[in-house]
Amino acid sequence: MKFTKEEFLEILSNYQGILHKVSLVYFKNKHDREDNLQEIIYQLWKSYPSLKNPNSIGSWIYAVSINTSISRVKKVSRIEYRETIPELPDKSNVIDEISMNESLQLLLNAIYKLDEIDKSIILLYLEEKSYNEIAEIIGISTSNVGVRINRAKETLKQNFKNSNHGK
Amino acid sequence: MENNELQKVWKSVNSEINQKSKDELNLLLISKTKQTINKFLVIMSISILVCVGLLIYLTITSLNRQNDFVYLINNVTLGIVAIISLISGLLSWYKIQNNRYNQPLRNWLEVRINFLSKWLTGRFSKLYIFLIPFLYILTVLSIHVYFENKSFIEVLNTEESVIGLIVAAPIGLFVSYFVARRIRKYQLHNLEFLKDLYGRLCNAG
Repeated sequence: MKFTKEEFLEILSNYQGILHKVSLVYFKNKHDREDNLQEIIYQLWKSYPSLKNPNSIGSWIYAVSINTSISRVKKVSRIEYRETIPELPDKSNVIDEISMNESLQLLLNAIYKLDEIDKSIILLYLEEKSYNEIAEIIGISTSNVGVRINRAKETLKQNFKNSNHGK
Repeated sequence: MENNELQKVWKSVNSEINQKSKDELNLLLISKTKQTINKFLVIMSISILVCVGLLIYLTITSLNRQNDFVYLINNVTLGIVAIISLISGLLSWYKIQNNRYNQPLRNWLEVRINFLSKWLTGRFSKLYIFLIPFLYILTVLSIHVYFENKSFIEVLNTEESVIGLIVAAPIGLFVSYFVARRIRKYQLHNLEFLKDLYGRLCNAG
């Protein structure tokens, strides 16, 4: 593959939805999501020369986005803790900056309650990725993917019901 | 709620995303790259300036005290440790920054856990406990002996100097240990967090 910036920006522009969605799943507030988006773009640019297979661009972007977000989650939660920001009720946590339909808000609230691994599994499931793709991005076997998805889905549905009842 | 209903709800997120133009994405990349380079230059410059400043000071004071053998040994030891600390510090920082994210989550977690484990619990992880007081006392002695205009042995035999050292050492050591422990504690929490995630990922089946 050629490593021109123009091509990189073209890929980034076409696949930017992934970056936004991963950030949305891992970070509740807009400022953190913007910071994360910028960090993902930078990490993608750094690892762009090592991208060997042009057919797996999507998987590469998912992997970099998820790994970068997980590495930032701890940092951001530490800053929040140190600044002792009061915890907000569930509904106001979610996407205050953009208008979003109620079902999506409830779904996001349910996703925020999952652990970091399940968040990535559920995101890939919701994005309708195949078991093989999920296995490639997460680094586990295909059979394991099925088990993890089922467990994560059960937790998600439970969280979803709780959010729905609590509204 | 049915499975495909969840996916249907999720699809509506596409219409909520504020897509950025290529120019905006390019601006984000440029500003992040600049920030990273600036951060690198600041850390690198400060480390090198402190180290070079210390080496210049050690050279000048050593040249002015060529007859004080113990003082010379003190300064040479300090100089060697300072250079080794600078090189290993910059190398560790480079390794931390060079974290490669373009691999499956599980592999990335393994690499990160190995790196942090080596750093925080490896063979040399407790070296700072000995290195901090060692460097601190050598530096204080080097400065104190030079400005007292006495030989190293003479200063150590002076009651006021010894009392001064006993009073000053705990304060400096407390501050140094406090900073070192805070950094270590944060990184240990980080390591535990990653180990926990890795454990959950491996315990799926």
